[in-house]
Amino acid sequence: MATYLVRRFFLAIITLLAITFIVYGLARNMPGSPLTVQLGEVDPSRKLSAEDQERLKEIYGIDEKTPWYVGYATWLGNLARGDLGRSFSRKQPVTTLIGERIGPTFLVSGISLLLTWLIAVPLGLYATARSGTADERGTSLLLYVLYSFPTFVAALFLQIIFAVWLRGTRWELPLFGMTDLPADANWPTRVADVARHAILPIVCQTYVSLAWYSRFIKANMEEVMRQDYIRTARAKGAGRWRVLLHHAFRNTLIPLVTLLGLSLPALIGGSVIIEQIFTWPGMGRLFFESIRERDYPTIMGLTLMFSVLTLLGQLLADLLYCFVDPRVSVE
Amino acid sequence: MNGSPSHGFWAEAWRRYRRRPLAMAALSFVGFLVAVAILAPAIAGTKPVLCRYKGKLYAPCLGYFDRRLEPVIFTKDKFRGEYPRNLQEKDPDSWAIWPIFFQDPYRSVRADEWPGRPANPSRDEGRPSRMNPFGTDQYGVDVLAKMVHGTTVALLVGFLSMGIAGTIGIIVGALGGYFGGWVDMLTSRITEIVMCVPTLVLILALVAIVDKPTIWKTMAIIGCTGWTGIARLTRGEFLRLKSSEFVMAARAAGAGPLRIMLRHILPNALAPILVPITFGIAAAILMESSLSFLGFGPPPPAASWGSLLNSARSNLAMWWLVVFPGTAIFLTVLAYNLIGEGLQEATDPRLREARK
Repeated sequence: MATYLVRRFFLAIITLLAITFIVYGLARNMPGSPLTVQLGEVDPSRKLSAEDQERLKEIYGIDEKTPWYVGYATWLGNLARGDLGRSFSRKQPVTTLIGERIGPTFLVSGISLLLTWLIAVPLGLYATARSGTADERGTSLLLYVLYSFPTFVAALFLQIIFAVWLRGTRWELPLFGMTDLPADANWPTRVADVARHAILPIVCQTYVSLAWYSRFIKANMEEVMRQDYIRTARAKGAGRWRVLLHHAFRNTLIPLVTLLGLSLPALIGGSVIIEQIFTWPGMGRLFFESIRERDYPTIMGLTLMFSVLTLLGQLLADLLYCFVDPRVSVE
Repeated sequence: MNGSPSHGFWAEAWRRYRRRPLAMAALSFVGFLVAVAILAPAIAGTKPVLCRYKGKLYAPCLGYFDRRLEPVIFTKDKFRGEYPRNLQEKDPDSWAIWPIFFQDPYRSVRADEWPGRPANPSRDEGRPSRMNPFGTDQYGVDVLAKMVHGTTVALLVGFLSMGIAGTIGIIVGALGGYFGGWVDMLTSRITEIVMCVPTLVLILALVAIVDKPTIWKTMAIIGCTGWTGIARLTRGEFLRLKSSEFVMAARAAGAGPLRIMLRHILPNALAPILVPITFGIAAAILMESSLSFLGFGPPPPAASWGSLLNSARSNLAMWWLVVFPGTAIFLTVLAYNLIGEGLQEATDPRLREARK
């Protein structure tokens, strides 16, 4: 076990080095620099003079004289000392920025994941139990259609319905942001306000994964239902639901549990598109903005976090797999 | 031995595919899209499909495919894109066959450009009407015309980017699966690294690098990032098939590795590889429209369904800018997903046995 973990650890380090190297190279080769892009977009007259740019570039250590791979080495050195650097455009340490954004993202994706599981498992079981009947086919088709429905189209539809057509009614939901209240509002109204803002993002994030999960559960259940031990269970007189829950579903937990591990990056990384549409102040939006602002430290900090989460999720999935299925060993 | 001729694998798969009504409907929908894309200038446009001008025949509508295909004489005679009036004025004997729907995907139609036809409404007054069934955008450009001409982009994105992804994925996977050893170690590692970077992160970074985004560059980027799943699957198939008896026989007959991979293993591995490619087409179309929607697509004159959605974001009261292109994207994605599913059920023997 220990040797396995050590080997995984070293492989992960190599993968991380490769990913950050590639993304750093990409980021530094984007046209424009954080200095020109950010100020020029707001107000063309505020564009920096050539001398000012040179001076600032030297301060930030991004002048063209030092090639980008030297910059990467510097970034790596700082990382080894636990320093992710400071954001150019927001004048804050990257770790602080990430810390601020984790909460809102987790609020949406956490609730969405919980809802997904709460609805998808019964749905999948129902679909297996009623397999082949008209209502099961209808539900499955509907889920399939939902699965193909692009999130951003759904988000726009929902925005039109709830923020434009239902404006002024009690069903109206806010279009953008996380809260409209000033910072000194008391917390019950604050919670209610954030909840109202979160409904649409949560719905958008839930419906796609819901369709995907329930189909996944059903596919696995069908695989299990063909096994001999299910026939045995039926033959010995076990009830229909007992066969379904006790004999079949327990055996589909293995792939489900690995899925849980693989959903880790999305849980904290958030969705760029959903957060962008609803201007939700989360990680996905931070990444989108940092690319637009050529904010190298933030791009790198987020990339590192996404990749670590992905690798951790994979490791978690593998470990959970061994845990739920004793026949499998990590060696 | 029941006397009926035995069918080949693909004929058999097609027979099974045909039995699924939804998959067949999806296939005909894609066929419909291909027809719309090819005939786009004849369906919606302001340039004649065919016209006789000063004694010669021209097809100005080809200018919609590429500006250079538009006959020079119309530029020389200062038509400025307005054909109906100019044709009449400059050559009374001329005649023309017009597109079914007189609207331009790149500009607003002015009043009386077509005799008796009002100008397109602009801003939020452009709701669907008899003249503009799907409404007009902020600048008065007809949405239906834009969508008809945007079909080409949607189809090309799917085919080209998955063509690129499929090629890379099959080569990488085949090398790793067939040769094993350090080659496999290397290719698997590369695949894993690309897999670990979230796709949208990688694509956004790549798109930001490209100085002037065009639809072709977007396709190349989507293709270069979407091959990992195909590579893994191909590797597995090659790994499984390389120790099979027919490969052994081919090797004994003196076939080289390239010949074995291309002629013997690949045709047998193609069916399972085609399934993720079909799903990949759906994903690529989704990715392109998300990029255009986020404002990372090709610049304005290029007509893409996603960029229509993007223009709706500034004014959500113009619901027709969301509903029609959004539905088009949704139906196309759904169609490819259904085709992929049909293909899977038709070619995967494990699923087939399950149905018995």
